[in-house]
Amino acid sequence: MSEEQQITPWNIDGALGEWYVPLYIENMADEVLCHYNFTTTTRTVMALKNEFGGLIWKLETDDGPKSLKILHRPPVRSLFSIAAQEYLVKKGAKVPEVIKTKQGESFVNKGEKLWFVAEWIDPLWQVSDDLNGAKLLSGAIADFHERSKGFVPPERCVKSSRLKRWPKKYAKIITKMNWFREITELYGEMPASQVIQESLPIFEIQAVNAHEKLLSSPYRKLADRGDKAWGLAHQDYGSSNGQQSSDGMWIIDLDGVAFDLPVRDMRKLIDEYMYNLGYWDLEWVMGMLEAYDEVNPIEDELFEVLLIDMSHPNLFYKHVKEMVYEPEAFLDAEVKAEVERVLQLEETKWAVIAELRKEWKGGKRR
Amino acid sequence: MKVLIICTEKLPVPPVLGGAIQTYIAGVVPVLKEKHSVTILGVNDPSLPDEEMIDGINYVRVPGKLLEIYRDGVKEYVKNNRFDLIHIFNRPRLVPAVREAAPDARLILSMHNDMFKREKIDSETANRAIEELDKIITISDYIGHTIKELYPQAEAKLQTIYSGVDLDRFVPAYTAKGKKLSRQVREEHDLTFKKIVLFAGRLSPNKGPDVLVRAMRLLQKEHPDAVLVIVGSKWFSQEGLTDYIAYLRAIAARSPIPVITTGFISPAEIHRWFAAADVFVCTSRWQEPLARVHYEAMAAGLPIITTNRGGNTEVMEEGKNGLIVNNAEDPEEFARHLSHLLSDSSRRRKMGEYGRMLAEKNYNWNRVVSDISGVWDEIEVKINNNIPITAQYGEKQELIITEEIITFNDSASEETVKVEYEEKELEPAVQFEEKQELVTEEIININDTADEETDKMPTEEKDPVPVVQTAEEADKSPKEEKDQVPAGQPAEGAEVDSTKINEEIVKPVKRGKDHVLNRLGKTFPKNPYYPHFKWVR
Repeated sequence: MSEEQQITPWNIDGALGEWYVPLYIENMADEVLCHYNFTTTTRTVMALKNEFGGLIWKLETDDGPKSLKILHRPPVRSLFSIAAQEYLVKKGAKVPEVIKTKQGESFVNKGEKLWFVAEWIDPLWQVSDDLNGAKLLSGAIADFHERSKGFVPPERCVKSSRLKRWPKKYAKIITKMNWFREITELYGEMPASQVIQESLPIFEIQAVNAHEKLLSSPYRKLADRGDKAWGLAHQDYGSSNGQQSSDGMWIIDLDGVAFDLPVRDMRKLIDEYMYNLGYWDLEWVMGMLEAYDEVNPIEDELFEVLLIDMSHPNLFYKHVKEMVYEPEAFLDAEVKAEVERVLQLEETKWAVIAELRKEWKGGKRR
Repeated sequence: MKVLIICTEKLPVPPVLGGAIQTYIAGVVPVLKEKHSVTILGVNDPSLPDEEMIDGINYVRVPGKLLEIYRDGVKEYVKNNRFDLIHIFNRPRLVPAVREAAPDARLILSMHNDMFKREKIDSETANRAIEELDKIITISDYIGHTIKELYPQAEAKLQTIYSGVDLDRFVPAYTAKGKKLSRQVREEHDLTFKKIVLFAGRLSPNKGPDVLVRAMRLLQKEHPDAVLVIVGSKWFSQEGLTDYIAYLRAIAARSPIPVITTGFISPAEIHRWFAAADVFVCTSRWQEPLARVHYEAMAAGLPIITTNRGGNTEVMEEGKNGLIVNNAEDPEEFARHLSHLLSDSSRRRKMGEYGRMLAEKNYNWNRVVSDISGVWDEIEVKINNNIPITAQYGEKQELIITEEIITFNDSASEETVKVEYEEKELEPAVQFEEKQELVTEEIININDTADEETDKMPTEEKDPVPVVQTAEEADKSPKEEKDQVPAGQPAEGAEVDSTKINEEIVKPVKRGKDHVLNRLGKTFPKNPYYPHFKWVR
């Protein structure tokens, strides 16, 4: 294998300052930039994943602003994300264009990581706080999903697909409910322990029901259409990664894209909006789904799977799952308040889901 | 014979990073190379050269990690180098590719895991692989059984060869050498007067050491002098810290009985903990192929408590070398067995001695070597007599081969044997068919992307011996829903001019935990192990 230095996690304890980047990586960046046709005037660290060996710079160049990224995953996996981004650009999606090297490559492999340069879209701003903003985000991700259909990843890369993993994911969460019970019992003195213990039976039943429903739903049939037919889900979509510019909505940060049923991104987006509202609101959910459906229609069977995914205790799970890492930090009063908020959401959630089931037909309210 | 051993794409040989298959190969080649010219083809590693000759064994290393990439390197190498016999480890998917590159070589496959199951290989590729093989060696009857169930035609080619253990390295505490090791380890860790319950293995839900932590709670009153030692990798490392390990750590931290977690222990050092322990426990809740640790525990003279899963019990004689747990989920059953053994030192000793005797008799490397050597000899006979691979008529073939072995050195009778063979071979043997098409392209679903928090299901070879991370594992670091992750370019108001942005870039401001980025309440993820980007504004 190469004698070249490998990029490894650095400054894990932060002792060298929050934004420290080792000299060898800066030197590598200089070398990487030699592969490109533009001339860089300034390079600024914008984001770090130092614990994993990832980094993003913003470049000012004679060809406009660009980003330079070191993807922290193994090259065979990173290749998938870069190829996906290129495919989406080619299909006309509004995602930053990947800049080719002088040799016509989409990336540079250095230090056993993939580096790539993309356009830096400037300026971008977040959508407004209201339902209109939510609709803009919904329409934008629908467009992303629609255009990602047909993507075939390069042959020699790790293909990232969650399309067929839903049942496993659901089952895993059921197992983890037991972990949460045990941990909250052992750390009973922590502020959030009691409320979690009390609510576990409720959410456990929901998780089991959702799992059963998923298995008897059209999910399997839909998933069997395969990766290429469904295309990619962003997996990390929200108002940070979908932003406005003067020429429309852009979707950024595609590192985590994976083949999936597209409704997964929508379910997460809706969950997040409802959590912030503090209650489930039919008009919001319906408005978002209609905005989505206009661009990338949600067929009835897919809608059924979306409803099952909504009925899974995602928010509860999301707010308590960190406890395994450090119970003494992640069972604090803040988590307690979050779980209480999730419990409060329960009061309105089920009526909205029932109403959706009743009213939705062929992408429209009946 | 010129023999090529093809290892898996994950870990290099020699086993500098551990791994059961790597350990196995390293255990048998020193003897096998005496009789044959052996080349080992494996995955490259920054710490090892791409080609080297050590002790008469030729090592060749090509890029791997991903099977597709590895397969390219394997094909290329096999095409350019001629071998009589190619012995592939644990990768049936490599068989058709190897056959294509080496139309005349004889192929053997050794199976250490259930890699023939449907998720791992499509039935077309599996059928082709089986057809091309002279023999499928399995590390347990259980593995053979799983193959036979799906592909009955493989039955005649199956042969179980149990693995072995280094009897000089793994020694009981009642020997002089073991006593010394035990004393050292116990002193180092301040455990001199403790009763040590040992678990060694990958820390994953399938291996299930969590149940042991729960079982230990039940022993608190009766055995306050007990400690649980968990030998396994990744305990301390942030990289690759799975949610399961985090959970295990969280419950261990509140255990009334001390739980000592060693982190990664090099394969060269691991025997020291076996020498120091009083009882060995295997907690597998999955269908374990047959974990190496059983052999190691027996060699170290430890009584074993193991689960009735997969092939584990094939090396157990209940009540003699240990006890069997029927419900792997039940901490009480573990606690009952543990309590019984911890209370009775003479029973422990007796079981340990019996286990050591079994290891010496059945699980020494010489026996493994002679079994493998026997298989290679069979192949050599076939080669010398131009006997084709017969898929369907295994038993007949066995008979003939036996005859051939007897007459092998007698050149005069060689022709007779051939004739006899041909006569018996009335029905068509499976010949090397023309290759119809290239290997079907497999889709690999990795469970390591950001959103999936599946622990890696141990379909890999690196089960029993703790290993340092492979790149794949490193990637699979805390995988959780990324919803909370703030990412994307810093949002600025539309009206913000570029000078303002530049100013902000010059003066980075950390977005703290409570910094609300937008109305959705996105903050920094609280999980410190999460591979998020920390944005500078």
